[in-house]
Amino acid sequence: MTIAVIRFPGTNNENDVLRGLSLIPGGDPYLVTNRQGSEALKDADGIVIPGGFSYGDYLRAGAVASVGTIMDGIREIADDGKPVLGICNGFQILAEAGLLPGALLPNRSANFICKWVYLKVSENTVGFTDGMEAAVIRLPIAHAEGNYYCSEEDLVRLQDEERIPFRYCNEDGEVGEEVNPNGALDNIAGIVNEKGNILGMMPHPERASRIVLGSVDGLDILENFVRVTKEA
Amino acid sequence: MELLHKGKAKKIFADSKSKKYVVIEFTDNVSAGNGKKKDIIKGKGNLACDLSEFFFRYLKKKGVDTHFVKRLDGSQMRCTKVEILPLEVVCRNVAAGSFCKRYGIKKGTELASPLIEFFLKEDKLHDPLISEDAAIRLNLASEFEIAFMKSVALSVNYYLTVLFTQVNLTLIDFKLEFGKNSDGAILLADEISGDTIRVWNSKGQSFDKDLYRKDEGDITTAYSFLLEKLNETKPNKVLQREEVLYVSVMPKDGIKNPPGEVTKKALIRLGFGDATEVRMGKIFEIHLSKPITSGLIEQLTLMNLKLLSNPIAEKHNVRMEM
Repeated sequence: MTIAVIRFPGTNNENDVLRGLSLIPGGDPYLVTNRQGSEALKDADGIVIPGGFSYGDYLRAGAVASVGTIMDGIREIADDGKPVLGICNGFQILAEAGLLPGALLPNRSANFICKWVYLKVSENTVGFTDGMEAAVIRLPIAHAEGNYYCSEEDLVRLQDEERIPFRYCNEDGEVGEEVNPNGALDNIAGIVNEKGNILGMMPHPERASRIVLGSVDGLDILENFVRVTKEA
Repeated sequence: MELLHKGKAKKIFADSKSKKYVVIEFTDNVSAGNGKKKDIIKGKGNLACDLSEFFFRYLKKKGVDTHFVKRLDGSQMRCTKVEILPLEVVCRNVAAGSFCKRYGIKKGTELASPLIEFFLKEDKLHDPLISEDAAIRLNLASEFEIAFMKSVALSVNYYLTVLFTQVNLTLIDFKLEFGKNSDGAILLADEISGDTIRVWNSKGQSFDKDLYRKDEGDITTAYSFLLEKLNETKPNKVLQREEVLYVSVMPKDGIKNPPGEVTKKALIRLGFGDATEVRMGKIFEIHLSKPITSGLIEQLTLMNLKLLSNPIAEKHNVRMEM
């Protein structure tokens, strides 16, 4: 079982993700660059698109990468029902590619935000959050365009179908406007697609995967990802 | 063949083969001054058809979307059926004709850059000049269609001017008409011949319908001369003209625009307190080496949806001018 970690020009979290996954038995990650094309994904059982600033965030964050040469391969793997995880810029790329609904707009404050946040995990597991139901976890965010936005119909569907695994909250797990860092609708920090095999999230689990980093809450998400990939 | 329309110098017939096409016949009728002066000049129709065929073929090769399909026997050509827009588009390089009378300008005065004018196609009113805004308000054409016709007219002006220069002739001005086909694409239509252009040699001598208007000579001789000269030109030597399209992308109404908000705050700090709202978007300047066509605009609109804008939060617009 192998997990492809994608690097576009300007991606800069690939090593953190590779290291995070390699800590997990059976993680077996390998690096694939956009330039290698879809061919390089033929042995992949799962895909992680890490964060960074693909193509310098020119045009819109994730927009140029979303039509990159490797995207056909990623789409194919996603269509096959294999797990795909987009972190930060990876989430932006998946949204731009239409693999996840909505868009990530500039933060309400117009600032780049880099800080630790608390997230409330939904009560209903989405596979990627098994064993974390209703937990309050602590992960870092680092983005300028993390303000999740979608149409009202899409938002209602996300809510009704319980496809919002992560919401920004306070230390006690209370979700509210005052702890919304970027203006995201309904405090959304992460969503999954209809099939449940694609997860996009703005916070960085790989940056909270070792004690020395200040939190290991992210490791649970990566472990779940590895497990789901094995099962898929 | 069923006659669909009879104009002053052309007849339009239904094409027996396909509803997509019509057959246009160039007649020997010549008129001037909105029909005040009328004559039949033998051979004129055929020459106007030859010239139109030459120009349409040449412009098509350069990438202009035209209604021309095929030359038929005699003075007929098969063309794509279009709904003609009720506007004549005139492009002027040098002052002549009604332009001189209207502004009291000496004939032959060179204009600093090509001028596009629109005229309302309405015989009863003697085809008056119409402003672009009036044409839009009267729903004769949309703002986009006006800009589109202007852009194509300027392309045509370039390609014809350079071609005529090769044989030491000067394109003074010309009139174009446009039509929409069944798919809604705007095509260059009608005719381009000595009846619709003004061409002078270096001595200021005319080789167009002005000879008839002013009783200064025989137009069939002039049209034959034009055709002869055009056949000496080297169309392949005419370089493609660079065109520019602009795509503007703006946040949709109601979508918060933090970049605009911080810019507004900075403007106020600098003393520009009158700004009540600032919204920031993007402009893409897209250079092309071929004339603008409806197909190209359609493709670009698709690119706007796929890449240049995010339709969830942004609106986009293709423009010919900044």
